[in-house]
Amino acid sequence: MTRNFAAWPIILLLTVLSLPLFVMYLFLLVDTFSNTAPGSLLPNEFTLEHWRFLIDPTITGDVWKPTLTTFLFASSMMVIVVSVSATAGYALSRLALPFRRFVLSGIMVMHAFPSVTLIIGVFLVLQFAGLYNSLTGVILVKASLMLPFGIWIMKGFYDAVPWEIEMAGVQDGASRFTVWRRIILPQVKPGLLSLALFAFIDGWSEYMLPRILAPSSDFEVLSMYLNTVSDPNSSTYNFNIFKSVGLFYTLPVLALFVLFQNRLMNIFGGGTKG
Amino acid sequence: MRTSSPYRANLLGLAFMTPAMVLLLGFFFLPVVLTSVFAFTNMSTATGISGGSYVVTGNLLRSLTDEGLDAKTIKALRQSSYIIDQAGLEKARTAGVDAKFITEIGERLKDRSFTSSSAFERELKTLPSRPTRVRDLKIAASAFEQSVLNVRYASRGEMEAALSHMLENPPQGAVEQIATASYTGWTWTTENFKNLVIAPDTWRIVGNTVFYVVLTLAFNVLVGLFLAITTFYLPSAGSGFFSILWLLPRITPVVLYAVMWKWFTWEDGFVFNIAQDLGLPAFNYMKGSVASAWTVVILVNGFVGASFGMILFSGALKAIPVQQLWASEVDGASRWQQIRYIILPHMRWPILFVTSYQTLSLLSSYEQIWLTTNGGPGSTTTVWALEAFKTALNNYTGNLQYGLGAAMALILVAVGLVLSIVYLRLFRFDEMMSKPKIEF
Amino acid sequence: MQISINNFTKTFDGTPVIDDMNLTIRDGEMLALLGPSGCGKSTTLFTISGIHRMDRGQLMFGDRDVSGLPSQKRNVGVVFQNYALYPHMNVFENIAFPLTVRKDNKADIDREVRAIAALTHISELLERRPGQLSGGQQQRVALARALVRKPDVLLLDEPLANLDAKLRLEMRSEIRRIQLETGITAVLVTHDQVEAMSMCDRIAIMKKGEIVQIDTPADMYSNPRTSFVAGFLGNPPISFLSGIAMENSFSVAPIKLRVPLGVHEGIADGTQLKLGVRPEHFGPEGDIAVEGKIAFAETQGRENLYDVALADGSVLRSIQPAGRNWALGEPVRWFIDSKSAFVFSNDGQRL
Ligand SMILES: Nc1ncnc2c1ncn2[C@@H]1O[C@H](COP(=O)(O)OP(=O)(O)OP(=O)(O)O)[C@@H](O)[C@H]1O
Ligand SMILES: [Mg+2]
Repeated sequence: MTRNFAAWPIILLLTVLSLPLFVMYLFLLVDTFSNTAPGSLLPNEFTLEHWRFLIDPTITGDVWKPTLTTFLFASSMMVIVVSVSATAGYALSRLALPFRRFVLSGIMVMHAFPSVTLIIGVFLVLQFAGLYNSLTGVILVKASLMLPFGIWIMKGFYDAVPWEIEMAGVQDGASRFTVWRRIILPQVKPGLLSLALFAFIDGWSEYMLPRILAPSSDFEVLSMYLNTVSDPNSSTYNFNIFKSVGLFYTLPVLALFVLFQNRLMNIFGGGTKG
Repeated sequence: MRTSSPYRANLLGLAFMTPAMVLLLGFFFLPVVLTSVFAFTNMSTATGISGGSYVVTGNLLRSLTDEGLDAKTIKALRQSSYIIDQAGLEKARTAGVDAKFITEIGERLKDRSFTSSSAFERELKTLPSRPTRVRDLKIAASAFEQSVLNVRYASRGEMEAALSHMLENPPQGAVEQIATASYTGWTWTTENFKNLVIAPDTWRIVGNTVFYVVLTLAFNVLVGLFLAITTFYLPSAGSGFFSILWLLPRITPVVLYAVMWKWFTWEDGFVFNIAQDLGLPAFNYMKGSVASAWTVVILVNGFVGASFGMILFSGALKAIPVQQLWASEVDGASRWQQIRYIILPHMRWPILFVTSYQTLSLLSSYEQIWLTTNGGPGSTTTVWALEAFKTALNNYTGNLQYGLGAAMALILVAVGLVLSIVYLRLFRFDEMMSKPKIEF
Repeated sequence: MQISINNFTKTFDGTPVIDDMNLTIRDGEMLALLGPSGCGKSTTLFTISGIHRMDRGQLMFGDRDVSGLPSQKRNVGVVFQNYALYPHMNVFENIAFPLTVRKDNKADIDREVRAIAALTHISELLERRPGQLSGGQQQRVALARALVRKPDVLLLDEPLANLDAKLRLEMRSEIRRIQLETGITAVLVTHDQVEAMSMCDRIAIMKKGEIVQIDTPADMYSNPRTSFVAGFLGNPPISFLSGIAMENSFSVAPIKLRVPLGVHEGIADGTQLKLGVRPEHFGPEGDIAVEGKIAFAETQGRENLYDVALADGSVLRSIQPAGRNWALGEPVRWFIDSKSAFVFSNDGQRL
């Protein structure tokens, strides 16, 4: 490494800049296990009472049903994104298609394009398709909005697989499908895994789409649940409780992130090689 | 026999593309089309999104008067008339009116009409088998009542027929005018754009959007760069800590993230308490003043976006040949000089990339603002995307104006489309498209 | 199986790469496609294998027209330059892959794979992953995988380019041994003339998408049709002198050199000519004397290599057995063996 210049002012600046984040996340953790006297900053007692919502549905309502729904939502969306991106990415990377260039540019534009602007149009599509207020509709929309990104990422991974391996497979008598299935797919496993993780995390965290596209349906995902709990007009208004709920909600994401941090980095950068 | 192009459409390719194409067409292409189409309608909750029906309401009559329809026609529309016809007799029978009375009405008053209920009832009272109770008389009378007011007609033809039936010698074109005005469904219009241009709010919101995008972008890029460079020089334990800390906002679900900011900035929140202890002004910083609300909005979004820059810039930094850095140190360059003359020149493209990419996503982002300040206080922190979203999908009054919202979104879509095409050109992504090498 | 390519033309994005090529590979022979980089060797190979389509022309395997068939229906084994082993499969699975996609039964697959592994001497590597193999071992695996299906043709695209010098020598004879043992028709793409000469029955020399000459290594060496061929074969390479025809002799006036043209009599005086002299045909013995200075000397152990600069600046190369060593700058009077020298017209055609 390079010589370490003395740079205390810089480190100080970095610390000050990071302070809000640090404080927020520190107290997110601390407050769920403690009580603080009103008007004071520091906690004065350890307690587990803020976690009672896990077993006592009278506090904030049953938390396990939304958890299960969220899990279903995130995993079905993950399955759709990964499988559709895995096939489309391969086709765009390797196969002769009519209008291939056009489709590829279209997908790149969509990848760069901010998809939330389409929400009104999506709303209308769901209305017409009769999928408004349904979990299926929201899953399909969420998966579709992530597709350009997923296809783009997967195409990048496929592009990195040497053509010779594919040619060898074809020479060995395998059909293109067999080649994809048995030779190419194993090569892009890291890509599939990263994309799956990312899609799952993204689906798990999603708030806006269920809220807008299924406002009065009978399913509730954790983000909506948390938002209800943390509504300042509700009788259960208590920062410590909804911090616990929030932490409970975020824990799976944090765990995945910590476990697979390196795999996710490329994807968090937007899958861009700019 | 062989075609001139060596590439043959590949069935497997088509099969592999189909699911993606279906989803993209359905949820990207179609929404864009619908957004553009409905931007030219007055669709709202009131009109519904499928077709409407034809109703003449009291409100409509008032506005027709304003439009200059003659008073006689209006009066006629407002009034009910009583016509003794087969349908009326039928209706009276089902309403349980005495059969003898009905027969009498049919025989004596057949095909007569009355313009007021009192005249008709007076006439009825002269009939021998009239009911004794006034209430029964009124029931019988009402069976023959005919009015267009508040009656729903499914098609224009039915409405026009009813109008012609009601109005004797209507003025030229009146029937058509009333029928058109009575339509409750949505209609085509360019009003949305006209209204946007003349509304003073529009320009305030544009101003807000520009302000928001520029400041947040500056925060993102500068802090991202600062983080990338400092973590690059820091020993790995420190740099690891800071990069994870800064990545947290990006992976934290937005709802929780918003709640954390509320805790941080609200009354009785963290900053509030500190300010109070220090004797500084303590209030709800998220909503209490315009300046503090903007600060919160920019920080909330800035902290999320900074990690994007940080990751890309760190990647670019690691790609700088270490020899160059060593060489500069041997040459006695200070750290600042090293950054200025070696690192920053390498960062030109990543900076441009992050800038253009973030511009696009910031232009259309509203989730965080919505969940924190919700555009307030007043509408001081309302940006274009938030306003479009609220207009179309999240309105307190309950009347969602899909048409106007779509018009606002369409402008955003157009800007986004142009910017994304420009930036694809700029970064020459099309060079990544090589032809398939297996030609069979 | 005999392979014939008729009137083959190939264009990439409007750039012609192969122009009207005709080539026949005899049953059971090993043919080298030899030529400089970019001349279209790989393109030809990939066309035979079914990766590339012909723009025009016909490809016959025996009397079967395979021009329109994809690779899967051609039964061709290919060894790629970077071996292209499947990284996630072990050696056994790699070799077995062609048989498993053919849905052979397990016992047959096992037997075939072990037989071919024995032939290629990799029996003890079957459990390993490609990443755990040396370059030479990977090469053998690739060869085994290409051969296990008993293909009609074996195609090798620069199979030795990624090996170090010693391994290259070893694999050279290995590949030839296996080809001879299996009796398979094989095409070897290379730009190394030594490889082509030592491994193959015949060599086809290519230049800019055309086959310039096709012959056995010995005939090609002793009887090149053009100066390009002559220059391509032989190490150290042939050297050329420029001159004109003068009274049935090749003449370089400034140095008073005259080499009788012998059989090529009757060339008009003044015609521009080139004389090609192989290093072994220039030395202290011979018939046409040339004076010059040693401009470069290199000891190769058994032999020494010299460049002799003539008075007009042109250079003749010579290879001499070690023993009497000439020093750099030493003036010499050596001789050209005029009967072994090649005469070319100015555009490179042999006369
Ligand atoms: N897929 C392709 N698209 C466009 N041009 C190509 C393609 N493949 C080959 N070429 C061009 O065709 C020519 C012949 O290529 P080829 O690979 O056959 O050469 P080669 O003789 O194998 O060379 P080398 O010894 O370097 O491998 C080259 O000029 C090359 O640039
Ligand atoms: Mg090649």
